[in-house]
Amino acid sequence: MGISLRIPGLVRLMVVKRPDEMLAVNAAAGVDRPLSGRGGLFNRSMAAKLQVFRTADGEIWPAFCSRNDAGRMRRSKEVAETLTDIPAKLQSIRGEIAELAAYVRGNPTARSAGVIVQQAVGKLFFADYRASEESFDAAQTLSIWLRALPLRTRLLRRSGKVQAAVDEVLRQARQDTACAHGTGLALHNIVKSVELMRKLARSESRLKRLSPAEAVALTLRGPPSVVREARDRVREEKLRARERSIVLMAVETARKRSSDPGIAFFTGQWNECPAHAFVPALLAEVWKTASA
Amino acid sequence: MSRQNDGFEFKFLLLQKVLSAFFRVVNVFVRWDRLWYLIGAVNIATLRDRLRRDNLHHAGYGVQAATPWMPGNERWRSADGSYNSLDHPRMGMACSRFGRNVPLTEAIPDSGEALLDPNPRVISCELLARKTFQPAIRLNLLAAAWIQFETHDWFSHGQPIKDDPDPFKIPLRQGDDWPDRKPDGCMHIRRTCPDPTPRETWLGGTPTFLNRNSHWWDAAQLYGSERKLQERIRSGSDGMIKLGADGLLPDDDIHPGVDFTGFNDNWWIGLSLLHNLFAREHNAICAALKREYPTWNDEELFQHARLINAALIAKIHTVEWTPGILGHPALRFGMHANWYGLPAEASGVPLRPIRAALGSESEVAHGIPGSRTEQHSAPYAITEEFAAVYRLHPLLPEDVLVRSLTGSEETTYPFLDIQGEFSRPLMKKHGFADLLYSFGTQHPGALTIGNYPNFLRQFQKFNEPLMDMAAIDIMRDRERGVPRYNRFRELVGKKRVKTFEEITSKPEVAAKLRKIYKDDVDRVDLLVGTLSEDLPDGFGFSDTIFRVFILMASRRLKSDRFFTDDFRPEIYTELGMDWIDNNSMKSVLQRHVPELAMPLEGVNNAFAPWNKI
Repeated sequence: MGISLRIPGLVRLMVVKRPDEMLAVNAAAGVDRPLSGRGGLFNRSMAAKLQVFRTADGEIWPAFCSRNDAGRMRRSKEVAETLTDIPAKLQSIRGEIAELAAYVRGNPTARSAGVIVQQAVGKLFFADYRASEESFDAAQTLSIWLRALPLRTRLLRRSGKVQAAVDEVLRQARQDTACAHGTGLALHNIVKSVELMRKLARSESRLKRLSPAEAVALTLRGPPSVVREARDRVREEKLRARERSIVLMAVETARKRSSDPGIAFFTGQWNECPAHAFVPALLAEVWKTASA
Repeated sequence: MSRQNDGFEFKFLLLQKVLSAFFRVVNVFVRWDRLWYLIGAVNIATLRDRLRRDNLHHAGYGVQAATPWMPGNERWRSADGSYNSLDHPRMGMACSRFGRNVPLTEAIPDSGEALLDPNPRVISCELLARKTFQPAIRLNLLAAAWIQFETHDWFSHGQPIKDDPDPFKIPLRQGDDWPDRKPDGCMHIRRTCPDPTPRETWLGGTPTFLNRNSHWWDAAQLYGSERKLQERIRSGSDGMIKLGADGLLPDDDIHPGVDFTGFNDNWWIGLSLLHNLFAREHNAICAALKREYPTWNDEELFQHARLINAALIAKIHTVEWTPGILGHPALRFGMHANWYGLPAEASGVPLRPIRAALGSESEVAHGIPGSRTEQHSAPYAITEEFAAVYRLHPLLPEDVLVRSLTGSEETTYPFLDIQGEFSRPLMKKHGFADLLYSFGTQHPGALTIGNYPNFLRQFQKFNEPLMDMAAIDIMRDRERGVPRYNRFRELVGKKRVKTFEEITSKPEVAAKLRKIYKDDVDRVDLLVGTLSEDLPDGFGFSDTIFRVFILMASRRLKSDRFFTDDFRPEIYTELGMDWIDNNSMKSVLQRHVPELAMPLEGVNNAFAPWNKI
């Protein structure tokens, strides 16, 4: 059973960490991605945070679209289809893979790992995508924004940095929200995995001994957490959540506790990451190249 | 600027902020209807402001461009409702999209099994079906016909998909006597006609549908929502509507037995009465205008008469029908103020100083007609939620008793024999006066659970499959993403309920709800919840419906140029302004059917029961 916190007027929150609970809450019909802002000040501030992830036309980024949004389903399917030919896709970013392999080996690289990953992800959508320190800074601002505490949130909002970051990521992604999600938010999980690979590869013997699959199993990371809202009261077998509770799913904690690495990508669920097969393949290729 | 609401935004003034905060606290302890009526009326006005800020959501126009400009569009209503807003010509025009009263992210239909849960046919049979007729004793049957007459002005989703290849398949229980069981063992419900217009990406998962009628309060049910149809309705002479030698609307060539008018779907004798009455009223206005302005041509006369007739209908709805069905003193006061503004005093409280303090522009002080046009937080459109709360089928009785003004005979007709193709023959047989008298002297059904007409639960229209309208009503709300009852309550500013007993004080109803909704109060459908709800004193429908009502009833007036900026003699003529001011449902009835003088004598509201003679 998840941890529930309710302080009237301030917060309605439920945190789930166990893999089975997380999957159950994720599947519950009354739990969805859009946040209404109801339930207390904390809930309102979380909803306001996610409001920035829209295009100028108001299109919502895919990670924040409703489960029943036919457009989201269609786009997700399209992205998944473009990523089905994994060898060809890996071939299209072989330059970036080589750079990341060098980084994993501990060799100096001309660009930071974040920029390389961002470019690799961007090129999956647009062959001529070019990442820069500025575009990666924008992505980092978005990552900080999602984790920021209220004071920092306020400062970030007032400074205009967040909107500038959203605009920059979208500009680079040519207003394609799936690409923006990949190059603005999802890339951080890959960067984290690459950083872990680099640590793992500090020992030459491990670099030689561990197979790519083993390396991936040790380094693959999902998002630390994702949020949902229980629109109505949830009364599943293992779960009880009040209506308008924010449901914080600690994905990374659940992944550590689970034997299924696919849990980080919600494989087989309605919100399955379209890159769920591609990302492990990419990391495996990086490790293989690094150890060659 | 709001990204989704086409730039419209509504911000509270200081007074509105203070009142909103004050009544939020007050309403924790006392509901508006339990306050002294003048305070209750202020409470309602405050609720309306909050709803105007939070409960208007644009779903896009759908239609890509307004119809080409026609001379006169600046002075009178276009046939399809375009150019009512000269800055946003598509706003409210026929075939533009329905709006929303809840945020778009809350208006997403369930998917898969959840969409059919609980089974709508079970709800129809177990909860909605009429066991015994429960009458609404403060109303007459004209009130039931009236609201359908009005909804036919405001909205239509069009015909469902013919031979829908992917209908909703509603499993039937063993022993269900539904005669049209399909080979898959299910009852099929066709889906709402889809919206073929390009979809904006910001709509997310919210489904959109087109309103086939003009959204405005423009009497489109009489005049049609397209120019070609309108031209067929008109006589072409002196601005009048075409009537037969018998003084009745002509027969519809396509649907024999049904009157030819602006909107004649779901036809029955009640609609026929009102359409004929207001067609006659139109012609009476034309005749008066012709006397006053003898040089005017057919077009000038027709368009001015339409403006006047539409405004008169809107006034009757505001100050007669509404207080008739919502007989609460705060409402009576509020609806009067909506049209006329505040009186000089009420219950000994001088209101003149308040009127002066609010200023000459204030809709509260001086009424909405003639005030400034205002869209508040979204472009004007009838909403899906509005259509959902106007599912008032329990108003219809199973049988209609036709009386004679001479008192000589009485005939009872099953409802099916007074609708569709049987309407005109019935009108010819009994005559306009006797039928109006019959309607004035019997009651409609009460809007309560277990009072849904059974004939509608097994109903077949001309060339259509057999329908269970009660199950369809349930499915329509679900299909269109209208939130279920409990979330709907929350979204219109009411507290969620935690138990079924909080919805209804009738233990047997609560027990049935609990059983069918598997003890999950959040799953209760909007229609079921609103019909089960205990009503405020004097109310004919629930307080939850009322929230949408107070928002949209004012909005239909306040957003419309012809009720606000252009509600003036230069547009309506002096004669027109006087006509609207000096007439009521009763005077309209008496003008066209003088035989009704006796039944209407001493009757203050033409929608209340008349005298039997």
